Amino acid sequence: MIGRRHLPTLFLVLSLVGIGVLSANSGALNPYFLDVAVGAGINIILAVSLNLVNGHTGQFSLGHAGFMAVGAYAGAAVTLFAGPAVLVGTEAALPHALLFLGALTVAGLVAAFAGLAVGLPSLRLHGDYLALVTLGFGEIIRVLLQNCEPLGGALGLFGLPAYTTLGWTFGAAAITIYTVHMLVNSTRGLGFHAVRDDELAARASGLDLTRIKLSAFLVGAFFAGVAGALFAHFKLSIDPKGFDFTRSVEIVVMVILGGMGRTWGVVTAAVVLTVLPEYLREFSDYRMVSYALILVLLMLLRPHGIFGEKRPTPPPPTRP
Amino acid sequence: MSEQLLRLDRVTVRFGGLTAVNELDLAVAPGELVGIIGPNGAGKTTVFNVITGVCRPGEGSVSLDGEGISGMPVHEIAARGVARTFQNIRLFRGMTVFDNVRVACHAGLPRGLHHSLLRTRAWAAAEEQARLRADSLLEVLGLAARRAAPAASLSYGEQRRLEIARALALKPRLLLLDEPAAGMNPSEKADLIGLIRRIHAEFGLGILLVEHSMSVVMGLCTRIAVLDYGRKIAEGSPAQVRADPAVIEAYLGESAPHS
Repeated sequence: MIGRRHLPTLFLVLSLVGIGVLSANSGALNPYFLDVAVGAGINIILAVSLNLVNGHTGQFSLGHAGFMAVGAYAGAAVTLFAGPAVLVGTEAALPHALLFLGALTVAGLVAAFAGLAVGLPSLRLHGDYLALVTLGFGEIIRVLLQNCEPLGGALGLFGLPAYTTLGWTFGAAAITIYTVHMLVNSTRGLGFHAVRDDELAARASGLDLTRIKLSAFLVGAFFAGVAGALFAHFKLSIDPKGFDFTRSVEIVVMVILGGMGRTWGVVTAAVVLTVLPEYLREFSDYRMVSYALILVLLMLLRPHGIFGEKRPTPPPPTRP
Repeated sequence: MSEQLLRLDRVTVRFGGLTAVNELDLAVAPGELVGIIGPNGAGKTTVFNVITGVCRPGEGSVSLDGEGISGMPVHEIAARGVARTFQNIRLFRGMTVFDNVRVACHAGLPRGLHHSLLRTRAWAAAEEQARLRADSLLEVLGLAARRAAPAASLSYGEQRRLEIARALALKPRLLLLDEPAAGMNPSEKADLIGLIRRIHAEFGLGILLVEHSMSVVMGLCTRIAVLDYGRKIAEGSPAQVRADPAVIEAYLGESAPHS
């Protein structure tokens, strides 16, 4: 018996099947289109997972590219170093798929562990301070990778197997959207919003701040890691420069543009910000400038994001 | 004296050189309605912050039903049945009225990721319970009609009541009200007195009330403690406190108390 509460689960299963069918028949599609579509899917995963931290929980993190890097290198390490031993030269599809599934899982878990490492000391920080710590974390990861010879140093890792397909990417995106949706839409999930709105009132209402913030950080970092591994096996080579500060800013812009805390708005923004630069390639030098402009205009005209609902925030009624 | 609900034993709080609360003894019996009054800066809100764990007492101890709670994290003290409202209203402003109350109805919800990810039967049952409880509390506080409104859009009096509803959602044994009548006109104050009486009777709570409005404190409390410079200078029934020369001198001044 399937009750109403299982509708999202049903939706997830149906979309996974749909994505699978689509992916199996994607050979006929234009390779350029496929390229853009996979990029959009990866950005959806990044934006929706960051939205849990920045939008729902109100913890302004600027280190999402750092978690993505951790995942990318962890996933690449699995397929490059463990792959040959596991596969022993087989051409069958199933072992390759299982290896990739394992690589994605490892990537997510290692990134989540990094999320724990950053989250724990950052819990006492707010606003700008937290943004600075997460920004610093992202840079530390990049510099560490640049100087880590076993992981290719500044040259990075290359010759990765081309595992990432439309199916894997959008399957992972569907699971990300599902997880964030299910986490947030429940009585317990309201705790994320409570922490965002008023930390003291949340604690006085019996909510464990540490637990809530850490779970947002962990889940967010996990999916950033998965996105990183997908990215690695899509580009087939990775280097530390691909995960710098500008990448983090890109993801933050998607979240703000889509409206903090609005899943579908953020998904739309991720797609738009993937596709739009393709059409504006000749102006690519101005990309960061235009991001800054977009943000300034957005804050002036629509502070709740283009797709964000207007939340009423009149000043509190202050009678003495 | 072991059947006290709340017991403060020689509690002292210092902020640098300032002694905000000085060797305070205070007790609330189960179901008792106790008031704390005192001039501005007497340390009343600090007493609340010590009880709820927001700040730790430098000396002395706080116990709830005989169990020491000083030094516990704020959310654990709340989970043990101590709920509060704030002097300057602190609602979850981005959330609806209903969700403001529902978020505090988390006791009894199953823990673990799989419950919320798979919407298990246990999850659904607990979720339904939380919704019903939130709705019944909104009913009690006369906010049912504003259920779907954003909390920030409520009027001042409604926001005060919503804070009380959220506090009651914790199923508290002890409710701390920090100046609930602040900024209210006489008719609103009369309504508030009626409301607090009703909650007190209906939920059988111990209530500790900090208030400046004499009409509210004198009308509600069976016992009143008077603080001045962090020290308790008097304690007793409203009539006793009103007649106490130390109180008149330190707090009420020359003239008799008025509403």
